[in-house]
Amino acid sequence: MATFVAALLNSLDIGMLLFVIASGLTIIFGVLGVLNFAHGALYMLGAYIAFSAVAHVGVPFWVALVTVPFLVAAAAAALERLTISRIYDRHPTWGLLLTFSLLLILDDAVRMIWGVGIHVVEPPKALQGTFTLMGAVYPRYSLFTIVAGAMIGVAVWLLFNKTRIGKRVRAAAVDRDMARAVGIDVSAVYTIVFAFGAWLAAFGGVLAAPMRAIGPAMGEKIIIESFVVVVIGGLGSFPGALLGALILGAIHGFGGRWLPELNIVLPYAGMAAVLLLRPHGLMGRPA
Amino acid sequence: MRATIRSAAIGAAAVLAAAIGSPALAQDSEPIKIGAIYILSGTAATYGEFARDGIQMAVDEINAQGGLLGRKLEVRMEDSQGKANIAIQAARKLVYQDEVDLLMGIDSSGVANGIAPVVSELQRPFLITHAATPDVTGKLCNEWLFRNSVNVNQHMKGAALLAKDLPAKRWTTIGPDYAFGHQSWEYFQKYLAEVKPDAEFMTETAFPQFGAEDFTPFINRIMAAKPDGILISVWGGDLVNFIRQANDLGFFDQDFEILLTLGAATEVLYALGDQMPEGLWAGTRYWYDAKDTPINRQFVDGYYERYGRYPSYNAQNAYAGVYTFKAAIEEAGSVEPAAVAAAMKGLTVKAPIGTYTLRPEDHQALVDDFWGVTKARGDSPIRTLDPVRVFAAADVTPAPSETGCTMQ
Repeated sequence: MATFVAALLNSLDIGMLLFVIASGLTIIFGVLGVLNFAHGALYMLGAYIAFSAVAHVGVPFWVALVTVPFLVAAAAAALERLTISRIYDRHPTWGLLLTFSLLLILDDAVRMIWGVGIHVVEPPKALQGTFTLMGAVYPRYSLFTIVAGAMIGVAVWLLFNKTRIGKRVRAAAVDRDMARAVGIDVSAVYTIVFAFGAWLAAFGGVLAAPMRAIGPAMGEKIIIESFVVVVIGGLGSFPGALLGALILGAIHGFGGRWLPELNIVLPYAGMAAVLLLRPHGLMGRPA
Repeated sequence: MRATIRSAAIGAAAVLAAAIGSPALAQDSEPIKIGAIYILSGTAATYGEFARDGIQMAVDEINAQGGLLGRKLEVRMEDSQGKANIAIQAARKLVYQDEVDLLMGIDSSGVANGIAPVVSELQRPFLITHAATPDVTGKLCNEWLFRNSVNVNQHMKGAALLAKDLPAKRWTTIGPDYAFGHQSWEYFQKYLAEVKPDAEFMTETAFPQFGAEDFTPFINRIMAAKPDGILISVWGGDLVNFIRQANDLGFFDQDFEILLTLGAATEVLYALGDQMPEGLWAGTRYWYDAKDTPINRQFVDGYYERYGRYPSYNAQNAYAGVYTFKAAIEEAGSVEPAAVAAAMKGLTVKAPIGTYTLRPEDHQALVDDFWGVTKARGDSPIRTLDPVRVFAAADVTPAPSETGCTMQ
């Protein structure tokens, strides 16, 4: 029983972290139609800036968790204004090339600023240590990750479904020209949405920082996982991101525990299966 | 008449001497070029940086003393990005475009295996200072390829000799899921079975993906299997993640023996600080504090003063690599590649790590193997090793006939 509970908690904490990051990716795609290859770099930027904030500036981790995502979001908004906004009317491959080049630039920028060493961030005192649930010993910080991820999920859902700005965003996503026609400032919406997606990625980065070694190219792994999540869940679907993230979390948590030899293959096998059976993802809609 | 002929002869001789002499003179001002190929980007970029630090320090020291054969040393660094095809391209560029005289490098075992056959085409001595795959001084050995650092074979023999004296009988492993992780386990089993016949090796092992960020499922799995001893060959950033996550799960409070094969690598110790548990056996390819010899103290102090941290094994091995070339060039009396390669065969080199010989049969350095128990030290931000166990090369290096190398 204890091993099952441990695997379940593990699946949830991996899944919730992936959910926060992948939801940003899927929202950006859903509204802007751009596949943001730089998403992993934004996650990494969140983690590195949080590290500097805690280690060099000396702010507590909570402060970093609240403020750093906004810093990254602001930077992302600037990037969007300067570069991405110019290519919305062009073929989608332009978006891929542009975000990919942003990824390379951000990767190297991080390396130049912070060097190539490995860094760690400590979880705040209140969240250090472990707790026991039905015989399973589990880190408190992982529980915090699960709760934080769930709270973000609820907040984003409320944002999109219960607020006026959320309505405007959904309108712009569904039909850009019509939205413009009824007076919605679509380009402002696009900037805000891109910044918001970046906010989610960076929040994921700060959240992950105490659990992962911070090193160069840490964004590479997470972007691949995020893509698997959104493909399984459906590109552009927010509930799909949650479903995909939980599935991938379960594959890692349970698969890693009981089927370790297949551990590398399982996520991709899952993605391939979804693409064959439901090409738009489990919760995606045809375009 | 005779005077005219004589002065003409002297004049001709002078002209000839000048003509033959000038290329030599022109050569004297040409630096000796070393091409270095290491990982400078991506997750393992810290290793390339350490190598660069070590190489630059050695080059500066040698140049300050007048250089080699009256010529300065110069280094060209190239990024292998951890990929064999990129490394091969870089090597070709260094040789054909930059006209380097000597090549050194390679962090990744996969890249080393990929570049080994190409080395013969390049016709330059190639010194490996990091990659530990046994194959480059085994079945892929050739006249141009050398290694001055410890390989997996030697390191696992050291691990086995260590494990022999530990009470643990049932062993398992947690290692990265590629050649290094699997070979480490394979050699460890082979050598431990030889020295401790009653050792058992469990089928329940864990090979998380290299670069995996979450080791928790694997940690839980191995804890549930209740081994007596665990060989952990996870390294670098992965090991940092592993140890932090393992700490949270109470892994180090269980009563099994743990061997961290690359746990004493300084980049890991610096990253973990106090999070590295005490009382664990950890290995490395060079421990800066193991030898109180003048040459080692001078290197460690100089490195610390220059870079603000203790030298990692990658830095020392690259530093010693430059000095290996120096010794070979001095012995050969020239920088001509074939002469240098011939001099490197059987060459003995004095380095901070100790005095080692590049064995003529397979070009593997007979270099010591380092292990120790992690311990806190008040005046240091990183764990130290106390006690340290240094295994002599003769005790851990397999005979040439066992390596699979078939070079004359």
